[in-house]
Amino acid sequence: MAITLQELLEAGEERLSLELVWGEKYLKRTIEEKAINRPGLALTGFFQYFAQRRLQVFGLAEFTYLKSLGVKERETRLRAILEKNVPGIIIARNRNPLPELRTLAEEYKTPLFRTTMITSHFINESTVLIEELTAPRGRVQGTMLDVMGIGVLLQGRAGIGKSETALSLIEKGYSLVSDDVTEVVKNSRGRIMASANEMTRYHMEIRGVGIVHVPSLFGMGSIRRETELDIVIDFHPYVNDADEDRTGMMPSEIDVLDVKLPYYALPVSPGRDMANMVETTALNHKLKMLGHDAAKELDEKVIGTFLNRSGK
Amino acid sequence: MAKEQTIVREFKVENKYGIHARPAALLVKVAGKFACEILIGKKGSEVSAKSIMGLLTIEGHQGAVLYVQATGEDAEEAMEGIAELFEKKFFED
Repeated sequence: MAITLQELLEAGEERLSLELVWGEKYLKRTIEEKAINRPGLALTGFFQYFAQRRLQVFGLAEFTYLKSLGVKERETRLRAILEKNVPGIIIARNRNPLPELRTLAEEYKTPLFRTTMITSHFINESTVLIEELTAPRGRVQGTMLDVMGIGVLLQGRAGIGKSETALSLIEKGYSLVSDDVTEVVKNSRGRIMASANEMTRYHMEIRGVGIVHVPSLFGMGSIRRETELDIVIDFHPYVNDADEDRTGMMPSEIDVLDVKLPYYALPVSPGRDMANMVETTALNHKLKMLGHDAAKELDEKVIGTFLNRSGK
Repeated sequence: MAKEQTIVREFKVENKYGIHARPAALLVKVAGKFACEILIGKKGSEVSAKSIMGLLTIEGHQGAVLYVQATGEDAEEAMEGIAELFEKKFFED
């Protein structure tokens, strides 16, 4: 997913102290490659490899080098870069663009930006920002909670009791991230980050009660802005001979933004305390992640004992 | 309607690893399909065949002979289902 210069400017105005110097009409240009390039080598005339699809940042080194050149040479070298049709140019350390650069930018319709940041900070910050802006995102149906540091997404058909279970979990001291609709983003490490929709954040709808504001009722500790999505728990009505896994040794997975996540189907029936079920599932998952798989270990113990017996 | 009945049979565990978690889960799945009560184990210390944790306590290692008792209207069908699992060595080996 490519972003436009406009999107970068909007998101980076504050975070990158980014300011447009010239080129408002050309902000629809897209950044094809999500990385930042320092055109030092290209300025010296080396073009065998030049990352022309990236944003170009002119820092102290580039400036000092250009200043060391004669006016004519400076123009030639800059033209060679602008000719490549780079998406945009950013000048660090709040410098004024050299007059040649400004003229060439207009000639090649290349937007020119300025930042107060020093080059290395700008490169770090903008890489992160571009990564965030271009990350795959989506929306999933389900209530998101943080249970002891484990990000749990509760799914299941309407009316099965997701919000009610969430409420019980909040009362047990865990935190709500979002109710019913959860926004997901895949970060650069390939993990799914879950948060609430801006509009309905921290609100819940409880049948018979209506819409409630969770932190007002349960305090600031009852909410979390964002959490990593670790497991998906699906509530379904209890059916007897469902093909369910009774040992927990046959794990299922579900795809969220092309990331495979552990999936647990929990049957709902009268008398089953679902908040407790979710808590136990999350804890057991945490234990498995620490390398302690209770089902597998018990099975190994049983098999070991049986092999001894049958051998005699 | 079939009549309430009690059927008793004995099975020898043939598969190498015995009735560990996977075969236990299979037994529970088959037993759970029937309404009748099914007990399994060494004679005198049986457990319900519908309980995984119970099944792991009956020491069903290879070569062990287990006593199975089914009581209810569908006892016959249930016993057939269980017999199949033992005959097919719980689809192991």
